[in-house]
Amino acid sequence: MTALLAGLLLLVAATGTGVVLSRRPERQVMAMAANGLALALLFAALQAPDVAFSQLVVGTAAVPLLFLAVLASIRLHRPEERPGDRPEKGA
Amino acid sequence: MSRRARGILAAIAALALAPGALAVVRAMPPLGDHPLPYGDAVNRVAPAERAVSNMVTAVNFDLRGFDTLGEEVMLLAAVVGAVVVLRGARGEGVGDRPARCGSRPIPPRSDAVVLLCRMTAPLTLIYGLYVVLHAALTPGGGFQGGAIIGSGLVLVWLGEGYNAWRRMVPGVVLHALEGGGAGLYALAGFGAMLTGAAYLANMLPLGDWGSILSGGMIPVVNFGVGLAVSGAFGMLFLEFLEETREPEKGEEQ
Amino acid sequence: MSALPWSVALWLFAIGFYGMITSRHYVHLIGCLSVMQSGTYVLLLSAGFRWGAGPPVFADHPPGTPAVDPVVQALVLTDIVVGAAVTALLLALALQLHKRRGTLDPEELRPMRR
Repeated sequence: MTALLAGLLLLVAATGTGVVLSRRPERQVMAMAANGLALALLFAALQAPDVAFSQLVVGTAAVPLLFLAVLASIRLHRPEERPGDRPEKGA
Repeated sequence: MSRRARGILAAIAALALAPGALAVVRAMPPLGDHPLPYGDAVNRVAPAERAVSNMVTAVNFDLRGFDTLGEEVMLLAAVVGAVVVLRGARGEGVGDRPARCGSRPIPPRSDAVVLLCRMTAPLTLIYGLYVVLHAALTPGGGFQGGAIIGSGLVLVWLGEGYNAWRRMVPGVVLHALEGGGAGLYALAGFGAMLTGAAYLANMLPLGDWGSILSGGMIPVVNFGVGLAVSGAFGMLFLEFLEETREPEKGEEQ
Repeated sequence: MSALPWSVALWLFAIGFYGMITSRHYVHLIGCLSVMQSGTYVLLLSAGFRWGAGPPVFADHPPGTPAVDPVVQALVLTDIVVGAAVTALLLALALQLHKRRGTLDPEELRPMRR
């Protein structure tokens, strides 16, 4: 039990760091889903099934989906390329 | 402020706060080995007093019911704000064309996606309803079940496409769910006041232990939260996915 | 082990703070904010944990068996769902910002450069 909790806590810290360090928002969405899943597992291990449930639905499905919709919309409404703009990578 | 100056300022602030934060971490009691007076009191008293088996639900919808009303209103305000901000530029008009992303057509959905969504979408929605209704008994409740229902609506969009989705999930219904759920919660509190009790006091018969309707007022306010949260997530997905459409020429933007 | 949960909570808060300061994209910044927020979840749920206790749901074990603190769980539970709605509000603001100004880089959005 101790090892499980310690491992999950470290996993949450690692995936949270991953969310911050993935600077491209498209990649960050996937990191966020991974972080949400790690948090849900940690909450289940901390004997909080209600919270794990909530985190699983919201953190791995709903919020990443909203981010994806926003990123799709940003690509759609991109203004005309201005001179001096860096070309968008991987668009 | 330049990037550099901002970084230096943040570093100074972090250095100033770090000793305090580390002292707090060091002074915290060890994990899982310290008294929990409030939790123990709830675990001791609430099963007998409220006849529900899920203590988290008892805290959320009864013992701290007024606080949850505040959370509920925060949810309503945030969702209304998001919808107003998005519609402020786009207008109320809702088109019925499938999504297009620039000049790039959306590839047709594969049969496997359609089949999988047709199988999982109804099951997800029913499961969400089950989670809402069994709040008093097993892990779950209005917040989780509402989020499952709201997210399950997206499976309809994924499997049936934009047109069918907009026909099957009218925005008006989602607005009514959101407002009606929050209103049900607030009015339930006034219902208790009619009998002379305090706002949100539990005045209904408590029911039997282990029954789906146990807990007196808990199933009522829980159902209100379930309606409001499913409406909230449905509205958010509807508005955000609407943003990914390209407006047709001549259509109100 | 005894200080690990509090350290992880502090780490999540600090790394999210660092990400917000150095962010060059508002959508990325909102993601960093949610990492900061998850630090509070870890802190609260760890504070309510107790060794050898079960979940505070007496469906399959009778009332009176040791259980963890349900109060902090109720706090975190509502905050996760409400926090998602607030995140959506922030995303909507970022989206409108992008429509009006054509960029989401905080450096390019300074009013004096207009």
